[in-house]
Amino acid sequence: MSMNKLPAQVSVIVPVGGRQTSLTDLYPEYKSGLAALGVPYEIIFVLDGPQPAYEKSLARLAAEGEPIIVISLTRYFGEATAIMVGFEHASGGIIFTLPAYMQVQGSEIKALHTALGAADLAVAYREPRASRWFEVLRRRAFHGLLHFVTRLQFRDLGCNVRAMRRKVLEEIHLYGDQERFLPVLAERQGFRVAEVPVRQSPNDRNDETYAPRKYLRGFLDIFTIFFLVRFTKKPLRFFGMIGVATFGIGILELLYLVFDRMLFASPLADRPALLLASLLIVLGVQIFALGLLGELIIFTHAGGNRDYQVDRVVHYPEAEPISAHPKPTPVGGVKVVA
Amino acid sequence: MYPLPKLSVIVPFYNEEDSIGPMHAAIIAAVQPLGVTFEMVFVDDGSSDATALRAEDIARRDARVRFVKFRRNYGQTAAMAAGIQYATGEILVTMDGDLQNDPADIEQFLAKMAEGYDIVVGWRHKRQDKLLSRKIPSVIANRLIGKVTGVPITDNGCSLKAFRGSLIRSIPLYSEMHRFIPAMASIAGPRIAELKVRHHARQFGKSKYGLSRVYKVLLDLMVIKTVTSFTSRPLLWFSLLCVPLTLIGILTLTGGLIAAIPEGGRLSLPLTGSGIIFLTAAVILMASGTLGELIYKLGDVRPDDFARLTKRLVASNVNKE
Repeated sequence: MSMNKLPAQVSVIVPVGGRQTSLTDLYPEYKSGLAALGVPYEIIFVLDGPQPAYEKSLARLAAEGEPIIVISLTRYFGEATAIMVGFEHASGGIIFTLPAYMQVQGSEIKALHTALGAADLAVAYREPRASRWFEVLRRRAFHGLLHFVTRLQFRDLGCNVRAMRRKVLEEIHLYGDQERFLPVLAERQGFRVAEVPVRQSPNDRNDETYAPRKYLRGFLDIFTIFFLVRFTKKPLRFFGMIGVATFGIGILELLYLVFDRMLFASPLADRPALLLASLLIVLGVQIFALGLLGELIIFTHAGGNRDYQVDRVVHYPEAEPISAHPKPTPVGGVKVVA
Repeated sequence: MYPLPKLSVIVPFYNEEDSIGPMHAAIIAAVQPLGVTFEMVFVDDGSSDATALRAEDIARRDARVRFVKFRRNYGQTAAMAAGIQYATGEILVTMDGDLQNDPADIEQFLAKMAEGYDIVVGWRHKRQDKLLSRKIPSVIANRLIGKVTGVPITDNGCSLKAFRGSLIRSIPLYSEMHRFIPAMASIAGPRIAELKVRHHARQFGKSKYGLSRVYKVLLDLMVIKTVTSFTSRPLLWFSLLCVPLTLIGILTLTGGLIAAIPEGGRLSLPLTGSGIIFLTAAVILMASGTLGELIYKLGDVRPDDFARLTKRLVASNVNKE
């Protein structure tokens, strides 16, 4: 195709980790979906850990002249890292992330692309969705907890189908398991996030059970996000609250013990409760001290860490009142988006 | 007359579509006759109304206006910090965008700065606000802030302030610290003056603050107090925290040992255990202090930088050439 010779406007990143569908099913599906956009595209496969068989079939596709880039990582680094590595090779102004297995039908790609007209990041949610009751419950709990913690309501963060403007990934550095929370992080960065309903692929409905370990990880992830979103700029509010509470309980218990000793002469030295009281007091002081260390880190690095995101700076140094289409001047390294 | 330093007027706006035009005109009317070079930095804090559109329009017509638009609402501290960041003047004047401050006051601020002050803070002595929900909490808060930070300022909440650019740009501004800029700046030991300013009742829009901020002010106050008092010497500060713990630890431990003598050497676990816990905590705190020193060494804020910012050459008879 001659269109593929043009520089890609849409870059698709496909991290290939654990779960995967055969490339012979997956590729034509994505290809037809992307072709419907009518713009030149490229597909970047990031093999997260050595996968010789998959690599071989990708090499075959590349030999056929398909617009693909294949990157192989030496070991499993996780999806977020794979996406970031893929992004380094992406040249399009619009970036898609698609899973290596069929979550949605390829025809839905266009809906996400359209949604970018009024948003910086569009995430898909599968609707209607066939699931067992237990999975529905799990999903509700996850999103409910996230809503409680971040005040943001999302429907399907487990869906790996996303479209975004390039600047989103330029500004947000994903690591660990954070790819799921990209909408939360983007919202916090001041980007406009849209949710787009898509039809679920029939192949996605089958295996949807998770190991217990995943639940624990999901929970810990939410905790991390909670801390990132709410307290990274004010560690003492977080640690101080816990520290003061612990310290307070310890002091109260100690007072009670001393009171008991004075009034009823119950010997202080033989009461294990004394151990608990001193542990609580000491713990309180230490947690508070951690908060102070956090504040110190923020304080000494506040110069580099901005609290705000500038959309644009408008300044016309030679303001001519009646020029037809004046060009805004970039100031201070900030891109003028207008 | 000596050449006047360049002036930047920084005004954050949040949903003030009706105020921004009059504000722009009022600043020009007040500053132009003074004969200083000046610029205006308008910051739109993610307004949902037409503020940004109007500000952009003004910037297009007036080269002295620099307009910074936020992606979303980040709060007044961030808006002030951004304004300070993008301002190019040597003297920065900040004021509210709701027309409650009067740009006509800028003249006396400049005069005060020319006297050699580093920070001049406004004081709304005839405040046009509700008594119960705004004025009374404010008086209490200001007393408290003055007591705790050691910078007694009558009216911390007044946005109309003037700063020496080099000084304020080096003060970390984050979280909700705009109310405490003078207190934050006190690490640098600046010369601070107060001036009575005019205050008008609100003409357009509605007030964005209520009683709910009291709680946040209290927390921030605690942060400022600790940060400003311990930044220069984290190890020392943590060591001070260690002293009571060590004392309690030693006392409890000796108490436990003495109590064991009549018992024939049988140690009381809770007593000696507590002593050991306190002593351990003291050691860990010392270690935290060392970490603090490390963070401080690696960071980019240093107290000796502040010293250089506010220093004055008082006398020098030695020829350095």
